[in-house]
Amino acid sequence: MKISLVTDSTCDLPDNLAERYGIQVVPNLIIIQGKEYQDGKGLSRHEFYQRLPEWDTPPTTATASSGTYQELYEKLLQQGASRIISIHASSLLSGIYNAARTAAQAFHDHVLVIDSGQVSLGLGFQVLEAAEAIGLGVDFERVIELLEKIRERIRVIAMLDTLEYVRRSGRVSRMSAHLGNLLRMKLFLEIKAGQVLRTGEERTRRKGIERLKQQLIQLGPLRRLAILHTNAAEEAHQILEDIDPRLPSSPLVVNVTTVIGAHVGPKGLGFAAMIA
Amino acid sequence: MLDSLAASTADFNPTKSVNGRMLKRLIEAGLTWLHSNQQIVNTLNVFPVPDGDTGTNMVLTMQAAFDEIKHSNETNFGKMAHTVAHGALMGARGNSGVILSQLWRGFARALDNLPVLEAQDFARALAEARDTAYKGVVRPVEGTILTVAKDIAAEAEHIFHTTDDFLQILESVVEAADRSVQNTPALLPVLKEAGVVDAGGKGLYFILEGMLRYLKGQALDIVVGTIQPLSEMVLQNTLETIEPGQDFEVVVDFRPTAAIDLPAFYGMLEQMGTSIQVGEGEGIYRVHIHVPTLNLYAPIDYTRSIGTVTRVAIENLIDQIDGRKSSCVESAPVLTPVEPGQIAVVVVSPGTGISRVFASLGASAIVDGGQTMNPSTQMIAKAFEDLPTDKIIILPNNKNINLAANAAREVSVKEVAVVPSNSVPQGLAAMMRLIPDGNFDNVVSEMKQALEEVQSGEITCATRKVEMNGIQVEEGQIIAILNGKLVYSCPGVEEALLNLLSIAKADQYELITLFYGADILPVEATNIADKVQSHFQSQVIEVQEGCQPHYQFIVSIE
Repeated sequence: MKISLVTDSTCDLPDNLAERYGIQVVPNLIIIQGKEYQDGKGLSRHEFYQRLPEWDTPPTTATASSGTYQELYEKLLQQGASRIISIHASSLLSGIYNAARTAAQAFHDHVLVIDSGQVSLGLGFQVLEAAEAIGLGVDFERVIELLEKIRERIRVIAMLDTLEYVRRSGRVSRMSAHLGNLLRMKLFLEIKAGQVLRTGEERTRRKGIERLKQQLIQLGPLRRLAILHTNAAEEAHQILEDIDPRLPSSPLVVNVTTVIGAHVGPKGLGFAAMIA
Repeated sequence: MLDSLAASTADFNPTKSVNGRMLKRLIEAGLTWLHSNQQIVNTLNVFPVPDGDTGTNMVLTMQAAFDEIKHSNETNFGKMAHTVAHGALMGARGNSGVILSQLWRGFARALDNLPVLEAQDFARALAEARDTAYKGVVRPVEGTILTVAKDIAAEAEHIFHTTDDFLQILESVVEAADRSVQNTPALLPVLKEAGVVDAGGKGLYFILEGMLRYLKGQALDIVVGTIQPLSEMVLQNTLETIEPGQDFEVVVDFRPTAAIDLPAFYGMLEQMGTSIQVGEGEGIYRVHIHVPTLNLYAPIDYTRSIGTVTRVAIENLIDQIDGRKSSCVESAPVLTPVEPGQIAVVVVSPGTGISRVFASLGASAIVDGGQTMNPSTQMIAKAFEDLPTDKIIILPNNKNINLAANAAREVSVKEVAVVPSNSVPQGLAAMMRLIPDGNFDNVVSEMKQALEEVQSGEITCATRKVEMNGIQVEEGQIIAILNGKLVYSCPGVEEALLNLLSIAKADQYELITLFYGADILPVEATNIADKVQSHFQSQVIEVQEGCQPHYQFIVSIE
């Protein structure tokens, strides 16, 4: 029985990893100054974050259409997949899950759409775990069980360099009545059970980075780690260096998807970790 | 977008039925009208995620539906509807787009190969649309586009028994959609909180209204002045530049007696003044406008003629720009509500500006007090008792208030911890560690640690002659205090501040925050901040109105 894996570009998996496991990554869309781009295509992430502050209308994001998912599922099934697992960004944060789920209705049990409750590599690691299990010949039901279990071991935390972008995106306003802050600060957010939670703030970047490192260390031994950033590669690598002895093998450093980064703004830092 | 605005009688029998080609025009009209109002829908978007893209998503979905039929000459209504549904499904974007595509899917399914649509078919199709949309959502929520779909189906079901005139039916359906949209805040608390109606529902309303406008021969591509949700209106004036003719700022809240014709409404306002903003929430409209003295009462008189005025606020802008500091005497800051079981922070604050900053960081109660105006134990204890939670942290923000804070803790029956902040900067540093739902002891210990992470400076005026730490001070001189110790004395505020910062080695830090006192004008504070910036070029300088008495500046270095 062949199981195919589908996810979307918010998973932030590097291309080589997705290719190695045959994971289908559906690009999300980002609309910049009225022009539509596929996430990561036509405009590099680096360039996106560099130019983000210059655009007077904030970019808006859109999911790939249900039709895109429907066509992909159809193609994979024709190519011999007997089941498809389609894992996506938290349904509380984006319409991606719903678009995929609508498309899946036409295929009944052949396509299972899963809400990862996460974003970025919080999602990507779930997909990778599933891919590895499928590679080892684990059957469909077991893969689904496994996915449910590992979700609890995943932590995603971000530090925003500025509140400007998240404020206009509105993505934290409801859970945080007092985000209309007067002071300049670095906001800490955690993605938990599909939602964005505010977990504190620091006034300076230096203290913020210290806090990120402390939070990482406190997690104990890790199975997977990715340092996430929006054009802050140097500091991201520095964090890895500073906590070196505690690292799992081959941690990733990833400039995150513009679909998330548009709400974070440039110079954000954070991590996605899977506890061992 | 539309070639002709008048409905062609060849394809449309105004009383009885609609064919496939007519459907194509109606779809285009719905799309065009939704597109004209896209921004309005975007600004309403708060559910499920307030990311301001519902209008965009719905337009993209409708656009995909229309693209699918653009070149079709199909006359069969049912076939055309199926093509529309297919296009909408393929192009569905976002939750609202997906639900919209499900509505079309159900609508088409009910009609199959029906050559022309008649009144009772329309009702049947709307019912099927409703059922399909509800089934397509994992957890249907009322007060959304789903509710609007339900309400219009009910209206169509009701009305087709009384008339078979399609125009009349559509008119009733549009009215029902409007009522349903207006009612969404009553069903969905998050909308009520934000003071908006549901964005997806409003989008559906615009699509239907666009179809109706087309049938009536009304324009579809006019740019209507925008209306913001009330909660999003920011009415702070930029006081630096007031142009001629902007003597007064007038804000009027009113409840219109009939639906507002936006273009006409904006047209009237534009004759009266400038800087026009209009907001709407739960049936109340808010107009913000700058007017010359001559027109001072014109906005009020005009809104009274079209509704019931509920509130008026007038501010003299000329007077404000002359340097009066209105914000220091403003009403109380917006405190963060706390729930039973959560950790609340009570803050002692020496000035309204500083209170505002603490409030913005999540303080639940403010006790006024500071140097030479220490609050009593009773005042502090009362603040504890007034809060609905039992877990309370108090930040005294002044060495001399620590005792009263401790005494208040002892008389309180609640679990109270004193985090002994000796200054406002220390208090703010502690505040950053607040996690309302966190473990009480952990939060307290985190906050105590944070006290040491910031340097506090104060610039004030010596009230008497003194010699301290080897520094000779004359009465009336300006003195600089760093972490509670006198470090410098001189005649001028600016000089004292610059020396304070260099003694604190501010050049080795990242951020300098200046809270200017009640005796300093904003423009003076800005000038001094510019000077500080020129001496400390790698540091970020932030200026905040503190409104504290006695201290020209309270400074945080971190």
